[in-house]
Amino acid sequence: MKRLITLTINGKEYEVAVPPNLTLLDLLRYELGLTGTKKGCDVGDCGACTVIMDGKPVNSCLVLAVQADGRDILTIEGVETEEGLHPIQQAFVEKGAVQCGFCTPGMILSAKSLLERNPRPTEEEIRTALSGNLCRCTGYQKIVEAVKDASEKLS
Amino acid sequence: MLLPKFDYHEPLSVDEACQIMSDLGEKAKPLAGGTDLIVNMKKKILSPEHLVALSRIEDLRKIELLNGSVRIGACVTAAELAESQEIKRGLGALGQGAGILGSPLIRNLATVAGNLVSARPAADLPPPLMAYGAEVVLKSRRGERTLPLETFFQGPGQTLLEIDEILTEIIIQRPPESAGAGYIKLGTRKALEISLVNVAAYVALDSSGTTIEAARVVLGAVAPTPLRSPSAEKLLIGEKVDPSLFEKAGQAAAKDSRPIDDFRGSAQYRRDMVAVLTRRALNMALEQARRA
Repeated sequence: MKRLITLTINGKEYEVAVPPNLTLLDLLRYELGLTGTKKGCDVGDCGACTVIMDGKPVNSCLVLAVQADGRDILTIEGVETEEGLHPIQQAFVEKGAVQCGFCTPGMILSAKSLLERNPRPTEEEIRTALSGNLCRCTGYQKIVEAVKDASEKLS
Repeated sequence: MLLPKFDYHEPLSVDEACQIMSDLGEKAKPLAGGTDLIVNMKKKILSPEHLVALSRIEDLRKIELLNGSVRIGACVTAAELAESQEIKRGLGALGQGAGILGSPLIRNLATVAGNLVSARPAADLPPPLMAYGAEVVLKSRRGERTLPLETFFQGPGQTLLEIDEILTEIIIQRPPESAGAGYIKLGTRKALEISLVNVAAYVALDSSGTTIEAARVVLGAVAPTPLRSPSAEKLLIGEKVDPSLFEKAGQAAAKDSRPIDDFRGSAQYRRDMVAVLTRRALNMALEQARRA
């Protein structure tokens, strides 16, 4: 039986009827068309499906949509503003941290969550914060450089 | 991967959750962080007809200090444990285990009770919890019982939890000032890793600060369940601290371990690493005990 849930996604309130066996990831992608959140491994290993839920980055493939009832969700679509790309997004572009782009939404959300808690992280702290997000293209170096660059511009 | 169909229940109190578990019996599974259960359901290893979500029960989300004990609610996440000041003060080895479990994304979902109930032999929280002598509280409509964590595990994925019971709380007696503990995990990468071997060690010194009054050594991933090493503990208790003692304790722990060969490592390698990690974990414990 479907359940009616209310949740905030990127500042906008949604009321949707969801079956219990729908994940938050599938709700975002297939019901709401927010395909910036990527589906990679679907079992919590790759981090491509990262969203920020109530201020914390999580694997949305492991959260049931019904568990997100009443929660505040930020996806990659909510990171850009009217002023343009977020400084972290801009740094990813400038530093060549985006190659195929599949891991990028998750990387940016994990990085954003880190910089909110710790505006001037060390390289080690950056690498730890991104350790749940796998990238098969860049070798991570350019991603780490982009986050470092963004932290300097933001603080 | 699609999840099998199930009915979803979201009780707001432990009593309500116990009532639902009692009514539904083996058709139901409690859902905490979901980082194991949801994966197993996607892989069709498990397909319960009902899930009983515990995440809205506020009582299960607290870390409380009560008469010299620390009570950790079932749904406290690994990230919350790793960041908690109550845990950092005096239960540092548990914070170390919680801070290295899975990945940052997993740590924001995975719960302390889930890590125990899943009963994986290489899990990160059982060794430090057993090193501190933790107990678990199991509740059902029939009543409540408290068990030492070390008796709780029966084999891979198997525990003493009955089908209508919920693990609601972990209780740890706050260690004395003169005690310390350490946890080390050995893997081939730094995140999203299943331990090849992990070891937690606890020592308490006497008032002179030179003799070991109490010791616990717990080995993970080298037996079907996390394992205490009675030979290492016997060797340590009542002895004066010196570097060769920890070396010998490491050798004794290696003899107590029962590792297997698999694709991640050979039994011989694991046994050798038990000796090394035990010595290092004991040194970490000693350093912390002396700092007090």
